[in-house]
Amino acid sequence: MSDRTLTLQVNGRPYTLEVPSGQTLLETLRESLELVGVRDSCGIGMCGTCTVLVDGRAISSCLTLTAQVENKHITTIEGLSQDGQLHPVQQAYIDHGAFQCAYCTPGFILSTVALLGENANPDDAAIREYLAGNLCRCGSYVNILNAVRACRTIDD
Amino acid sequence: MAVGKSVPMLDSVARVTGTVPYPSNLKLPDMLVGKIFRSRVPHARVIKLDVSAAERLPGVVAIVTAADFAGDDKPNLHFGSPIQDQPIVAGDRIRYIGEPLALIAAESAAVADQAMDLIELEYEELSAVFDAEQAMLPGSPILHEAFPDNIVRHSKLRRGDIEAGFAAADEIVEEVFSSPMAQQASLETHVAAARWKEGKLTLWTGSQSPYTVRRVLSAIFDLDLENVRVIVPPLGGGFGGKGNVRIQPMAAALAWKVGNRPVKLVMTRAEEFVTVTKHAAKIMMKSGVKFDGTFTAREVSIYWNGGAYASSSAHLVPAGMLRAIGPYRIPAVHVDSYGIYTNLPIAAAYRGAMSSQGVFAHESHMDTIAHLLGIDPLELRTKNLLRTDDLFATGERLHDIHFVECLEAAAYGLGWHEPLQSDNGTIKKRGRGLAVMMKNTIANSYSECRIELDAEGLVTLFISTVEMGQGGHTALAQIAAEALGVPIEALRVRGPDTAETPPDAQTASSRSTHMMGGAVLDGAASLRQQLAEAAAPILEWSPDDLSVADGYVFVTTQPQARIPYAEVLGRNNIDALTATGKYSTNEGKLDPDTGQGISTPDWHQGAGACEVEVDTQTGKVTVLRYHSASFAGRVVNPTLAGLQNDGNVIFGMGASLLEEVAIDGGQITNPNLSDYMLPSFLDTPVELKNVSLEEEGSSFQGIGEMTLPPVAPAIANAIYDAVGARIRDLPLTAEKVLRGIQGRTDHER
Repeated sequence: MSDRTLTLQVNGRPYTLEVPSGQTLLETLRESLELVGVRDSCGIGMCGTCTVLVDGRAISSCLTLTAQVENKHITTIEGLSQDGQLHPVQQAYIDHGAFQCAYCTPGFILSTVALLGENANPDDAAIREYLAGNLCRCGSYVNILNAVRACRTIDD
Repeated sequence: MAVGKSVPMLDSVARVTGTVPYPSNLKLPDMLVGKIFRSRVPHARVIKLDVSAAERLPGVVAIVTAADFAGDDKPNLHFGSPIQDQPIVAGDRIRYIGEPLALIAAESAAVADQAMDLIELEYEELSAVFDAEQAMLPGSPILHEAFPDNIVRHSKLRRGDIEAGFAAADEIVEEVFSSPMAQQASLETHVAAARWKEGKLTLWTGSQSPYTVRRVLSAIFDLDLENVRVIVPPLGGGFGGKGNVRIQPMAAALAWKVGNRPVKLVMTRAEEFVTVTKHAAKIMMKSGVKFDGTFTAREVSIYWNGGAYASSSAHLVPAGMLRAIGPYRIPAVHVDSYGIYTNLPIAAAYRGAMSSQGVFAHESHMDTIAHLLGIDPLELRTKNLLRTDDLFATGERLHDIHFVECLEAAAYGLGWHEPLQSDNGTIKKRGRGLAVMMKNTIANSYSECRIELDAEGLVTLFISTVEMGQGGHTALAQIAAEALGVPIEALRVRGPDTAETPPDAQTASSRSTHMMGGAVLDGAASLRQQLAEAAAPILEWSPDDLSVADGYVFVTTQPQARIPYAEVLGRNNIDALTATGKYSTNEGKLDPDTGQGISTPDWHQGAGACEVEVDTQTGKVTVLRYHSASFAGRVVNPTLAGLQNDGNVIFGMGASLLEEVAIDGGQITNPNLSDYMLPSFLDTPVELKNVSLEEEGSSFQGIGEMTLPPVAPAIANAIYDAVGARIRDLPLTAEKVLRGIQGRTDHER
């Protein structure tokens, strides 16, 4: 497989990299950029631990070739907090105890950010549906639901 | 007071910013990638294993095969705790599909994968056996010549006159239940990295049992214990699958062969399914009852499919025997619990270990009996549930028993006696079910901690309790903070690292809060005594007249005469005070022929009640509402305790409704998270509530599993209540439910 030189926009910074053409975005982010908040688990887009935002949309980086996202804006969990301040969704996850082993947490938080970007006031059914692509084997779903509810513009 | 508060996990910020240092993130200088060449047949004699072409591939650094262990000066090929029947890599015999045959250390994963294709294996296939009961029959293929009947362990319990008991019964009910092989499926897979330096081995690994790993590795390589160092970063989930010893010997053997560079092994998702599984179990349950619902006798036979090597089965089979009986007053009880070798991957603990299978059986059985006798399932249980001072089937007298409270908390939370919203006449039918569990703890066990108080008043807790998401480090820090009278912010937790944190049996079986919590209380008491002694000359009172609390040493009768801890150390020129805390139990020694004796210091207790909706045209089951209860004694952290209770229910729903490792001729056919489905948000009941029961004066009780085993029978009982179909085989799939509904309809015609 031949390498290609690509420019990626990751967490607001440009990176120019030599990337094998078959490399997944998950591999590039973890191995080349050492962004280990992006996690490998199932490898087939079923579990959501490798979720990142591409132009604000939540995608599985294990199913995305790095070459597909050239010049697009990629956000990983490392890019969410600004100047040492946690993003409100991150803070809500802490406030509601919405994690256990937390291997899935970056994926859940990024999916939550994407959901709120599409719909600032999702109801419970919408939250459950949207986050069904992220698995939490520890089973923290009730607390995750509470955390996401608290992030709505209108919190009831 | 730090105990009783919902303190966020100590490393919460790391957990939401993605910076937890999981073992899968580990990078060491010059680190090589390890890969495993595995068997594709379930049972075979190896004729030739040729790795020479693979070894010559540029980028391959070393390949380990069984040949590397030949010779008295070489490491031991076999390991196992307690039965040493498992080779690090298969030698002349292959016993399951996926068994490691050769280990490759290479510069990259791509090179290791290429090397895999260059390995040549010749073998002669042998007949294989996959079913546990079949494996016990004469003439079945034998896996280990030392165990000619393939029985790795047979545990027995004999209490009372079983024949007289059945003779005195008005009704005898006999049923057979089965649970399939399942997979723990922590989202982070198994990881082990090893490095040798000057004859010493260091291992970084995702393990629930760092001290077991150290002991087993020291035996393999004939090293002194202090020359094996095991470091365990926080885990991305464990659920029993990372207990005992799994891939660590392979990582250590690869690094040993390489010599001067570290090697890291990371399992793929598919490899997880051949690394460890949950025991498939078949349980025959026979009970004698009077018309009034009084039990006269119970006979139980359990067949645990242990897979190709003994591993944890040797000690889990006797535990599973006790956990299948049920928490009821039954005068005569006989149990036979068999652990059996088959040509399948190793079975070991899976959250709710050796309880879920038995609780599904005895709690489904209770409902069958309740319906037969026309007694309400809650009433039949509360009539027979064990109370404090009753004798269990082991003959031991029970203490701190709360089965009735747990079951009633779950049942009343659900609204057991309130009218069910009836949908009779429509396609969807509703029903309710409940279940209760009892589980012995790991007895004859040990935990130790070290607590250090420095001159700035900061406290460091050194523990080998593994943080795997349960919040163990946070809960233990809370216990230490309260016992020392310091704010939780003053606490730091270190470990596990066998070079600096003291021994602990393992982080398993919901033991840490109780056992390590006991060690922390012991260590804190010793530290308070040291503070009193150091403050005595300053305050000019005897240490016996001093109290230590809330950050001060003070004169008990004159609390205004006080000094802060930091000043006690400062004025004595002490950098730090250090105390060791210990906690041990020595129960668990049952008579091998009768199972009589004291099995456990405490009993784990939990219950659940649920309401389901069954689609009678498709068989689909939806759990609408679920209420769980566990006995916590004293809750350390309500949020973390709630996560354990709810997490158990959701985990249990996977095993109840979705999870089954499918096997065809010994080959697992669904080793991925698409075909092996885990519960998602949409599988979670819309109403999911839990309660942790406390009692004045009680100690910290483990709650890591108690609400899990009742899930499957509670749902199965609710399905029966809804549509009259009794499913005795997990998981409770739509297909089985539909078949059950149709069978019932045919029968009624």
